[in-house]
Amino acid sequence: MLAVTELRIVGNPEPDDLRAIETAVYPDWEAVYADNVVGIYQLVFRRVGNAADAEDLAAEVLMQTLKTLRLPAPVHNVRAYLVKTARTVLADHWRRHYAAKDAAAELQQVPPDALTSPHNSAAAERAQRVLSLLPDNFRRILELRFLRGYSVREAANELGVTESNARVLQFRALRKAADLELEVLR
Amino acid sequence: MSDSPADRVARFVDDLLHGRRPRRFHASQEEVEAMTAAAGMASARVGADLPGKAALDRIHSRLAAALDESPAFDRHVTRRVLLRTFGTAAAAMVIGVGLDEVVTRQGKAPVESGGGGSTVLMPDGGAWKPVASVTQLPAGHAMTVSTGAIDAVIVNDGGTISAVSGICTHLGCRLQPDDAGKKLDCPCHQTAFGWSGKVLYYRLKAEPPNLPQIPSRVNGDQIELFVV
Repeated sequence: MLAVTELRIVGNPEPDDLRAIETAVYPDWEAVYADNVVGIYQLVFRRVGNAADAEDLAAEVLMQTLKTLRLPAPVHNVRAYLVKTARTVLADHWRRHYAAKDAAAELQQVPPDALTSPHNSAAAERAQRVLSLLPDNFRRILELRFLRGYSVREAANELGVTESNARVLQFRALRKAADLELEVLR
Repeated sequence: MSDSPADRVARFVDDLLHGRRPRRFHASQEEVEAMTAAAGMASARVGADLPGKAALDRIHSRLAAALDESPAFDRHVTRRVLLRTFGTAAAAMVIGVGLDEVVTRQGKAPVESGGGGSTVLMPDGGAWKPVASVTQLPAGHAMTVSTGAIDAVIVNDGGTISAVSGICTHLGCRLQPDDAGKKLDCPCHQTAFGWSGKVLYYRLKAEPPNLPQIPSRVNGDQIELFVV
């Protein structure tokens, strides 16, 4: 293994082409990939909401980072760069496909340490928290749609409104949820 | 069909809920806000935002292909290296030091590789050292041995002797041979490796690296490993 011959215990008297590493480093791209691919996927999934786009964008983030970053590099530097790249890639995605002039407001919510904080159930918890802060009628429509998988028609029947009204209610609920994301949840 | 913002966002949500790639359209800023909130809501079910193995494999393949097509990257990393090495962590664990305690040397030729993602641990200053007698390891058995610096598992698979690292490449737990299953079990996170060192299964977010192989030979009635 390449890494094996590269390893030396600190302080070992070796030729001067050795350099000390004070923090953990990624020696190669496989290490970057293995350690971050799931976190990157989750980060982008939360901002596109579907697996097909999440897969494409996660690959793009890793690819763009690969093109510009030189390895070995400290873990925290690589992760910060991955998050920065993810922001750019996501903003570009929203701009290209939905003509969003400024998707940046939401994307600024991606913390620089997004890949170092535990992320296993963070997205679900965050969504649940947003739901809990919504007014009742907004929360009901979003729960029916996103948690119980109701169609607009089924949700409308459940709520005793027309389908058209259910769509408007959903739209307003989502806009309120977006406000909460920005204002209440940082 | 009418085309109000509420309708367009409803179609977007429908696509998300059906697992489809959403249709593209020109959205107002208000719609974009609602759609990004919808994307967050699509993660509300625990595990919804976890990639499947197939998705991870495709991402990995795309990276490998990109490396192949970009000679500019060759100086830093090649596809061979990508496929051959699975990170320093495994090697660091094998030799018993943490990543934050190591020093790298650049520009040295890589050691040989077994291919297929497995690697051969070829320590500098290594020597052949006896670790067990042949009679201790009948066919169909695996056995853990230690040279002090390295924990290994020696295997007799139908008369062919081989050796792999005895330390799990995930977080460094000692592997336990399971002769009946011809595998090595990690007691920590339900991961198992075949006798060749290849990962058989795992319950981790990312597939751990295969076990490094350790050069072995039979010398007289002794099984010897090339170790420090």
